[in-house]
Amino acid sequence: MPRPEQKTIQLTIDGREVGAVEGAMLVDAAKQGDVEIPYFCYEPKLGNPVGACRMCLVEIEGIPKLQTSCSTPVKDGMVVHTQTDRVRHAQNAVVEFLLINHPLDCPVCDKGGECPLQDITFGWGLGRSRMIEPKRHFEKPLALSPLVAIDRERCILCYRCVRFSQEVAEDYQLIFAERGAETYVATHDGHPYVAPFSGNIIELCPVGALTSQPYRFRARPWDIEGAGGICTLCPAQCNVTFTVRDDRVLRVLARDNAGVDDGWLCDKGRIANQSIHVDERITKPMVRDGGELREVSWERALETAAGLARHQGRTGALAGGQATNEEGFLLQRLLREGLDSADIDSRVGRGVEASTLRALSAPALQASVPDLEFAHTVLLVGVEPLDDAPILDLRIRKGVRRNGVKLAIASARPSALDANAAHIQRFAPGGEAGFLSDLIGALDGSATSTGQGLSTLATLLRDGGEDVVIIWSERMGNEAAGQLGRLAELLGLPGRDGAGLLEIPCGANGRGLREAGVRPDSGAGLAPLPGATNGRDALGIAQAAADGELTALYLLQTDPVRDQPDRALWERALHSVALVVAHASVLTEGLREHATVIFPAESHAEKEGTVVHPDGRVQRQRIAIAHPDEVRSGWAVLAELAARAGVDIDARRSADVFTELAAAVPFYAGLTLEEIGGRGVRWPEREAAGAAAAAADADAAPRTPNSHRSEPVLPNQGQLRLGTYRPIWAAPECEISPALKFLIPEQQLELAPQDAEWLGIGHGDEVTVTQNGTRIHARAFLRSAVPAGSAFLAEGIGGEESANTLTEPLIEVRKV
Amino acid sequence: MKTILFDNIDEPGLNTLEVYERRGGYQALRKALSMSREDVLSEIMDSGIRGRGGAGFEMGRKVSFLPHGDMEKYLVCNADESEPGTFKDRELMQKSPHMLIEGIVIAAYAGEIARAFIYIRGEYQLQADILEAAIAEAQRAGYIGQDILASGMNLPLVLHRGAGAYICGEETGLLDSLEGKRGNPRLKPPFPAIEGLYHGPTLINNVETLSTVPAILNMGAAEYAKIGTESSTGTKLVSISGDVKRPGNYEIELGIPSREIIYGLAGGPPSGKEVKFWFPGGSSSPVLTKDDLDVPYDFDSLAKAGTMLGSGAIIVADESRRVLDTALKLAKFYAHESCGKCVPCREGTNWTHKMLQRIYTGEATPMDLDIMASVQEQIIGNCLCVLGDAMAMPIGSMVAKFRDELEGEIEAARERADGAPLEDVVALGVADEQAGPMPVH
Repeated sequence: MPRPEQKTIQLTIDGREVGAVEGAMLVDAAKQGDVEIPYFCYEPKLGNPVGACRMCLVEIEGIPKLQTSCSTPVKDGMVVHTQTDRVRHAQNAVVEFLLINHPLDCPVCDKGGECPLQDITFGWGLGRSRMIEPKRHFEKPLALSPLVAIDRERCILCYRCVRFSQEVAEDYQLIFAERGAETYVATHDGHPYVAPFSGNIIELCPVGALTSQPYRFRARPWDIEGAGGICTLCPAQCNVTFTVRDDRVLRVLARDNAGVDDGWLCDKGRIANQSIHVDERITKPMVRDGGELREVSWERALETAAGLARHQGRTGALAGGQATNEEGFLLQRLLREGLDSADIDSRVGRGVEASTLRALSAPALQASVPDLEFAHTVLLVGVEPLDDAPILDLRIRKGVRRNGVKLAIASARPSALDANAAHIQRFAPGGEAGFLSDLIGALDGSATSTGQGLSTLATLLRDGGEDVVIIWSERMGNEAAGQLGRLAELLGLPGRDGAGLLEIPCGANGRGLREAGVRPDSGAGLAPLPGATNGRDALGIAQAAADGELTALYLLQTDPVRDQPDRALWERALHSVALVVAHASVLTEGLREHATVIFPAESHAEKEGTVVHPDGRVQRQRIAIAHPDEVRSGWAVLAELAARAGVDIDARRSADVFTELAAAVPFYAGLTLEEIGGRGVRWPEREAAGAAAAAADADAAPRTPNSHRSEPVLPNQGQLRLGTYRPIWAAPECEISPALKFLIPEQQLELAPQDAEWLGIGHGDEVTVTQNGTRIHARAFLRSAVPAGSAFLAEGIGGEESANTLTEPLIEVRKV
Repeated sequence: MKTILFDNIDEPGLNTLEVYERRGGYQALRKALSMSREDVLSEIMDSGIRGRGGAGFEMGRKVSFLPHGDMEKYLVCNADESEPGTFKDRELMQKSPHMLIEGIVIAAYAGEIARAFIYIRGEYQLQADILEAAIAEAQRAGYIGQDILASGMNLPLVLHRGAGAYICGEETGLLDSLEGKRGNPRLKPPFPAIEGLYHGPTLINNVETLSTVPAILNMGAAEYAKIGTESSTGTKLVSISGDVKRPGNYEIELGIPSREIIYGLAGGPPSGKEVKFWFPGGSSSPVLTKDDLDVPYDFDSLAKAGTMLGSGAIIVADESRRVLDTALKLAKFYAHESCGKCVPCREGTNWTHKMLQRIYTGEATPMDLDIMASVQEQIIGNCLCVLGDAMAMPIGSMVAKFRDELEGEIEAARERADGAPLEDVVALGVADEQAGPMPVH
């Protein structure tokens, strides 16, 4: 869909000639002329203006009544007055009206000092009240949810929070109850407002009516500083501002970046900063001594870890999603150059092969996040944005709601976006490859028979407009991913602006780590390794370690027992090896049992380095707070160990590592930290991206026709197909953040009501899920959108009940 | 006097299709369907008929604003007759529902509209039942639904009952409510004719306006335009209530002197007392006094007199009435019915109500009348919809026209309350300290 063209027009505001984009709202255009028009309810992120607060009234020549400048698009030649007596009278009136029922408890209000109502009262109010009647009273404060406190007396009913719930998050929970002066914000059923994006209403509130429960009374605005950063708790990599007081992150706010997050945050990103300052966090190096992990000096820990040198050629390494490009780059140098091993990976399970990735990383195929808003069609394949990259869920909703983007969802598990979809295609868990091959067949006419649903989808993709964005997940595996190139070609996506592919990797910085060379089958820049020197992938590492072929493991911010498939194998692997070196901030089960050395890892507010967004945007993490206690920089520890292992590294700052990385990755060529700046740079848009295009072409050539195709295993009588997913809240950071504990998922088995019926299972019943003698417990969750025959379990939730305990595609379910 | 809408209104059984057809019903529709859409539209335009719901906007122009082309367009009949004092639509729907249905179909034909709704206020249970029956009859007879009178025109007509909010009579609040949302007014522009129900172009007209359409087609626009004055053509139903001998609905020719309605038709105050003040167009019109009785009853003359014709509901108060009582009732009504969306209306109506209560309890000073007048000024013209103005204009007019009486009320109430002479309080200028807690009702 072509983005709207922008034409500049001239208008006059308070006698000044101002140039503005035609159709922009007057209140925004006025800023171009340094004229500030006050407002409360206007927030373009929330959609069309509502004109409720009446604060932004201005006089426009030729229109008899005062007009709300938030809802008046500018026209050429418009003459506007914002300083006349009439306007001032109206502004004074609105401020007076707003304050007559406002408690004016600013001295004890969290918002005091950063409150638009205070500022506007000072700027546009008369500073007096003529009302002597008693004010409106409500019980206060109340918990709107465990995360948000509501003070209805302070509320000025600006509609922002309700519009967010209704029109942005579309959870439809917040409403106005009652009417007139008795109106108040509430949830429609009186239950707490629990939703993945609920925290945004705190930031939207222009008064102190909605305050953050974890932040309440923790600081005043004059105590705090803001520090820009990147949230690396998931691949969405939202831009954030950390609110810092005395070297503690007390709050996380959105840092609007239309290229990334559109100014929203999920509650994990907003609240999990608590995990930075809790006792559970590891802040001192530890070494296993006499079977127990004990806090030791850095020298001792480094000395023990340097023992890796005795495992030359027998060390495997895994990097978790929170590792930076620099850390990943150093890790692969340590492994490859210092420990003579190629067994290094940053993926979950098998993932996608390097040759496939090189082809799919072609700059001509890369869609950007804003493309989701303006595409004709967005196709999701095997992705649940809400769990995999939450903020994209809001972006897709926005496109559908405001621009009429057609959404097609192809997945095994029902999606939170189903209600917004123009087309839904369900397949059995693991059926992505089959689905894509069928879709290609339907599109190129090679299929002999095509199901009704698939031909509808093919028509939608082919005839619904040229700009198609396909979001896919790394989890779908190599066979499925290998077909995306052909699909993109059939739809004419290569080289088309506003169209292309957008991959959601498993790790938050999955793309950056891959590009830094943290893979067994490619080096920095996804370059093929010289000779046939490919190492083992994550699963191979586990097997080799369990078999005794590997004798040491390096775990950079990951606990494979929790993060990787096949928990039992990893337990064996960790148990078998002689040395386990880990960087971690939370003592998860695998590390607690098996780590030999643990280096305290930095939080995302402490790191310095770069990460790469799924759409190729290189972003910069900056130090917001000093390292607590004895935490040291991850890159420095890696550099030290590499140096001890004899690797020639000259890195005195993280920036030095970045310089090395930029030199090693052809498509980063010339990239500097200054260029990345605060908003990031999409490398596919840079000139050096040509290097990636050349590599993609080299790989795209020998494409084999899609002859092989694995059929999903058919369930026997009494069995269900198992699909897994990683819930948004399944993260150690959530587990140790006190305010988020109520959201920690317990294992539940999502299944179709018809399956539940023949199994004799009711909603909420306790069930056992069995496979090859392995059994886990779960609570049944009946979901009518689950296709019959399939069932879903959560992974990454910690403990034996996690889905990665099971390894086979079929399960048997019994009621307890 | 010339009547159009009320020609056969009291004929028994007019609400049935049989009687309505016998009285020439649905002939206008046949005539319209034999004409081109453009011709029907120009008939409506040429008749000069102005909306009977309150705003008095020309219906023909409204229809002509609807964009052309292949899109879902809607017609919504506003039957949420909630303006205090207004009960004309009720009689029309109850006694002659087919006239409304016929008008809706003709208007839909003129506007190329494919779907119509009647939004009727929830309290009109009887009228809703009658309309339902009439719609079913009309459907069976082929006047609405698919392929109307074999003309190829389709028009499903749905009756929707409101749930009892005054604000749902405001056209955009009505649309939100009809869509199943909270009945809050929308920002205009976009006007409903461009973007209304479900974002489609929407024609919204009052029951009386639409009911007049068949007559316009029957008699011809030129003939219709001869009735009334040049800018207020036709007849108008007037609901007259209050202190008059014969309250009720009357059909009048626009432009006759108001006195003729109040004294001629309704017989004036029963006690023989003089008229003290009267609302010419529902409770939201600024009040007039006995000096204004000779103002011609039409849109422009009333506007010139500083008030409005509104919904055509005349409420008369004779000399025995206290202005304060009426003002308090009004303020309470509007504060209660304010949707709360925009600030001046939400806070202003509520504050005004509290100030008037304070006069009753003897806690007000004449200074409060200045504040009250100023608050009304702060509301007028600054709101999202007209509800705020609907309170501020009559209250403002009462404070301006009956200031002496209100000051007397304040003094009397203060003496009743504590016997403290008013002068002392005013002289000290400490009204704030004097104000005790208000009883919460």
